[in-house]
Amino acid sequence: MLQIVDINGDLERETKKLEQNFCINDHVDLLIEVLQRLDGRSLAAAACVCRQWCSIVRNDSLWEHLCFGNVSPPPSIGIRSVVLALGGYRRLYMVCVRPVASQLKRRRIDGGESEVVRRVWNRHEVELSLSLFCVEYYERLLGGGGVVGGESRATSLKFLCKAVNVSI
Amino acid sequence: MGPHDSSISAAAGSTSSSSSACSTSTKPPQPPDQMDHLLAGAGYKVRSNDLHQVAERLQRLETVMVKSSPVEISELVNDAVHYNPTDLASWVDSLLTELNTNPPLSVPVPTDLSDPNAFPANINMYANHAPQVHGEFSQQVVAPFEEDVSIQLVHVLMTCAEAVQRGDLSLAGLLIDDLQALLGRVNSGCGIGKVGSFFVDALSRRIVNSPENAVHADLSAYENEILYHHYYEACPYLKFAHFTANQAILEAFDGQDCVHVIDFNLMQGLQWPALIQALALRPGGPPLLRLTGIGPPSPDGRDSLREIGLKLAELARSVNVRFAFRGVAASRLDDVKPWMLQVSPKEAIAVNSIMQLHRLLGPNSSRGPPIDLVLDWIRDLNPRILMVVEQESNHNQPEFLDRFTEALYYYSTMFDSLDVCTAQPEKALAELYIQREICNVVCCEGPVRVERHEPLVRWRDRLINAGFAPLHLGSNAFKQARMLLTLFSAEGYSVEENEGCLTLGWHSRPLIAASAWQAIPKPSTTIGPINHP
Repeated sequence: MLQIVDINGDLERETKKLEQNFCINDHVDLLIEVLQRLDGRSLAAAACVCRQWCSIVRNDSLWEHLCFGNVSPPPSIGIRSVVLALGGYRRLYMVCVRPVASQLKRRRIDGGESEVVRRVWNRHEVELSLSLFCVEYYERLLGGGGVVGGESRATSLKFLCKAVNVSI
Repeated sequence: MGPHDSSISAAAGSTSSSSSACSTSTKPPQPPDQMDHLLAGAGYKVRSNDLHQVAERLQRLETVMVKSSPVEISELVNDAVHYNPTDLASWVDSLLTELNTNPPLSVPVPTDLSDPNAFPANINMYANHAPQVHGEFSQQVVAPFEEDVSIQLVHVLMTCAEAVQRGDLSLAGLLIDDLQALLGRVNSGCGIGKVGSFFVDALSRRIVNSPENAVHADLSAYENEILYHHYYEACPYLKFAHFTANQAILEAFDGQDCVHVIDFNLMQGLQWPALIQALALRPGGPPLLRLTGIGPPSPDGRDSLREIGLKLAELARSVNVRFAFRGVAASRLDDVKPWMLQVSPKEAIAVNSIMQLHRLLGPNSSRGPPIDLVLDWIRDLNPRILMVVEQESNHNQPEFLDRFTEALYYYSTMFDSLDVCTAQPEKALAELYIQREICNVVCCEGPVRVERHEPLVRWRDRLINAGFAPLHLGSNAFKQARMLLTLFSAEGYSVEENEGCLTLGWHSRPLIAASAWQAIPKPSTTIGPINHP
């Protein structure tokens, strides 16, 4: 019996040592696995934790998983190049997926879904989000180089420009 | 439903003859000899200060008549006219006296006296809009409320339009003053107040200017584009049009390697990014896409068509779609000749007309309406799909009053739907865009009136006669349209399917209709222009 107590004591000491030495930041693959399961808001909050987390969260593949990880059937291969060309998955989430999802959620009769729960998207919703994303990209193109931040829309800028332009 | 909704339906012909109310107590006292303009428009002379009394007496007359026996009524019907019903006050007094004393003498007979509902509909202007009490004719005067002013506004608008149609511009001018007063009393930030103010404005312009020469402040193409863009952002009608058209075009281009889209009104090309992206992602890879955009020539040396083409090309390049653009500058669609489009026989063609065909229904100086010629050359191009999106309303009727009534109803519904949009400046500029349409429908005549909207049923007939066969818009388009609508915060929009066409409306009133067509090849008597013997 004395022996067993000793082993337990050893085990406790060993566990304590491990706990003191384990840092999630040393195991980025584990970190990514965890982050992949977060919703958008938590993911954005995670980006504010430290520089390392920030750079990891900025990785577009995390956001790709957030956007279309639950699409059934899985999105075709070509979508990635298109999305990256139009601004990337993080922007897609910010501009299209999140508003579309929240609006569609509001419409559901069986409410009570929290934002954390990942919905399963269907093909139509994916296509619509991509189309809207493309229109948004195009509106930024129309707006020209003077877009303030990423948020202000080309329309409002044009309006301002018009007010200044006093051509007869 | 906003207050103006009920006011429009009341104007459409409510003959509530039961419970009484009188809203004239809210009118400021008029000079003693002032005749009421509204009734003057209908042909009756009543002093404004007497309106309350006359209304009361008419109701009493109605009660008496209902209680009278059929024999007495038939006596009234058979007797000749002795009193002039134009002088409504004395007419109703004399009629009351006659009925009360059951005289064998003749009494005045307006047209269908046997029908208790035949009294001038204008009297209903003073009727309360409260729910009817069946069988009971109460004589209480109920305090007026806001809806009465809306109903009055609509009625005075109608009377004014009627006066304009008759050519009685002096009466119309007086009614405009009445309307301005009424507008001051109603909330002009929403509902009937706002729409009403636009229509009053349009009517007063029409009275002042001759309709054939009506040219209100012409906007530059750039300003027009801005208004259009804000209209695009503020309400879903254009987005619905674009997305539905794109879906149909995408399906029509299935399996084709060379495709050519002809856009009748390029504007800023907002429709095409989504199509380019959808083509980029289609299974089998994207085709070679050619886009020909038609638009008005730009005045100040800028080639705006080319600029838009460059932006679209940039987008197409980012998503790896081979793309070619061509701009055709034409101020009128019938100035475009088919050779300008440079179609090649190997490619699949789609013709896209978003709210452009109705402009061709007006008279042209040399020939008839150019619509038939244009539809003819479209058919010659042999497109795989002709996409037609038009406003779902009849603003091309020959009689001004019919057009006016229809426009009032249509644009009220549209403004109702716009009320739920809160984003500024999108909403204000979208309203400005719609106001210009209203002005064109109301103020202009002849070739200047380009907003000649016609409903889907008429377009169907026209297109079938021109040699096109309808294509059914599939369930994909329908699902996409429904999903698009859920993104707009308002719950009132509805998408409906109508014999293969889709309509988008507000609270079951369709406002815009999208349909797809395929050209039936002409039975060829000649093999081709070159081989003509």
